[in-house]
Amino acid sequence: MKDWLMRLMDFVAPSGSEAPVVKALLDDVREAADETWVDALGNGMARKRGHGPLLMLAAHVDEAGVMVIDIDPRGYLRLVSVGEVHARECVGRQVRFTNGATGLVHADPAKQGDLDFDALVVDVGARSREDAERIAPIGTAGAVEVPVVTWGQSLVTGRAVDNRLGCAVAAEVFRKLAASGRNVCVAFTAQNAVGARAAQAAAFQLEPRYALVIDGASADDMWHDHPAIGLGKGPVLKVMDRATVVPLEGKRAVEDAALRLNLPLQYEVSREAWSDTGGIQLARAGCVAVGLGYPVRRAGAFAMTADLSDAERLVDLAVATAEAWLG
Amino acid sequence: MLLKELTEAFGPTGFEDEVRGIVRRELDAMGLSVRTDVLGNVIASAGAHRPGLRVMLDAHMDEVGLMVTHIGEGRDEGGLLRFRPLGGVDPRVLVSKPVVVGERRIPGVIGAKPVHLQEASEREKPIPMEKLYIDIGARDAEDARRHVKPGDPVVFATKYEELPHRMAKAKSFDDRVGCYILLEALRRWKGDLAVFAAFTVQEEIGLRGAHAAAYQIEPDIAIALEGTVAHDVVDTPSHGQSTVVGKGPAITVQDAQTVASRRFAEFLWETAKARNIPVQWRRVKGGSNDFGAIHRIGKGVLGGAISVPVRYIHAPTQVVSLDDVMHAVDLVVAVLDEIAKGGFRP
Repeated sequence: MKDWLMRLMDFVAPSGSEAPVVKALLDDVREAADETWVDALGNGMARKRGHGPLLMLAAHVDEAGVMVIDIDPRGYLRLVSVGEVHARECVGRQVRFTNGATGLVHADPAKQGDLDFDALVVDVGARSREDAERIAPIGTAGAVEVPVVTWGQSLVTGRAVDNRLGCAVAAEVFRKLAASGRNVCVAFTAQNAVGARAAQAAAFQLEPRYALVIDGASADDMWHDHPAIGLGKGPVLKVMDRATVVPLEGKRAVEDAALRLNLPLQYEVSREAWSDTGGIQLARAGCVAVGLGYPVRRAGAFAMTADLSDAERLVDLAVATAEAWLG
Repeated sequence: MLLKELTEAFGPTGFEDEVRGIVRRELDAMGLSVRTDVLGNVIASAGAHRPGLRVMLDAHMDEVGLMVTHIGEGRDEGGLLRFRPLGGVDPRVLVSKPVVVGERRIPGVIGAKPVHLQEASEREKPIPMEKLYIDIGARDAEDARRHVKPGDPVVFATKYEELPHRMAKAKSFDDRVGCYILLEALRRWKGDLAVFAAFTVQEEIGLRGAHAAAYQIEPDIAIALEGTVAHDVVDTPSHGQSTVVGKGPAITVQDAQTVASRRFAEFLWETAKARNIPVQWRRVKGGSNDFGAIHRIGKGVLGGAISVPVRYIHAPTQVVSLDDVMHAVDLVVAVLDEIAKGGFRP
């Protein structure tokens, strides 16, 4: 899983610019699927027909980022955020754009206090406005570069760990369930980081009875002796966020599966997150949708760390939960 | 003149009847199939049963305004009307503006303490909305109640006028200019495509009507036609302008509710360039339009927005370039032509 994760992390895919990473993920599951497609909002979908009710797996592929919104006469770019990004996180950093161009972010030294994006310019080495328009035209998205580093056997730190790791987990669960003849589909969803805009359209097309939504869960073990969520302590059941409350039927199924597998389980209650789970749960007449997570230590929008051992146990937990539902 | 009639119509959010009447009259004259849905959206179609792509064009009928919340009692404020905003209204633009209250158009003015009587500290701060009131000349509360009730909507009393250099000023260019562009494009366009026009309600308080309109239409492609923010005035750097009046309709790359489909945005851009229609990028993230609601409906909808730059948007008097308006009509017709020819595949 580690090598595949590293390859997925190399894609720069802010919300709305997901096509290349979606293609890579669909290529990866195509052999196990009856059909794959990409919808109007950029969700990548794969489906394998089988016996029993339909289970949907979902994981968002996008990440927060920046976008070129203007170019000045001297050829410097102006940025806006894509999703939740603070201007200060970008200062002095390299931005890699989706077309491969690289820029360096400068902050106006005359600006005091907390910076906003109006205080930033990006140098892409352009000599004029026309030059810059060729290198990174208005509307081009990008993300701040964070080199990937592995610590020991299972820790990975870098950009977009959340949620490329979830995509790898969802793909693996899809393959296992498809191999055992289950009726299963997977949606690699777009536009989550701007407010979970696309997942509901994916569920609308798939009409699942059950859904498991795989995403990162914020760890707080950097700051507390007894954290709510810690790395290496197992998968996370997402009980509540701003978009959803877990249905009891789903919560019990996950807890029973964890017990059978003798897996530790952590619980997340988030006031901040807009998960895809809420939109999926409420598509058409509704379905039993449960969010499952792996712990992530987040250092802002771009740099984060996860433990692959949590993700491997999450695969087992998701498969066992699905098997209990689907019979 | 249709643009004048549309901008002077009374149509704050939730009270779009007058605008709806004009829109239906124009659509009926074109011989299109027209209906009004339960929320008040007007939906017209041409070639609805043609196979192939279903294209939705959207413009909202409502405008920002105010709503009367309370009629003042007692000696000091008897008969003065307190109000709250309907949509995003900056309290700093309200003082001393003439308004009309209710669909019977009772004239009034938003009053405030004259400069002679203000304390030095009062002059330094804008007057908050809670301190403002509408004066309709009523003698007391009882007199006011004969003309006005709490819940009555209020709009600015601005008349449409043309300015030099093909410019015009009026209230509610956001989004009567979109209604006008949509009507003129429908009048001009002839082709083989299932086209649906939605004139929506309640955009200014959360894109509410468009949601239901898109649910009924189930489009493959949708384009919102909008008036959008322009601040191309003194001392504003390029990245603070959003759009420039007179440089053509604007195309969105990202706003508060939408990340544009890059492929569709470029299709709009190339279609304009190929026909020598001036066009510009909308260079700001703030603000949104009905496409923000439409694109999330059902299985998801491709599309974007074509916007006319509007100076002083959401204020009592707004300014547009009539050339931008005509170029937006040209662009909508060109885009329909291209889609009908198979020039864009979802």
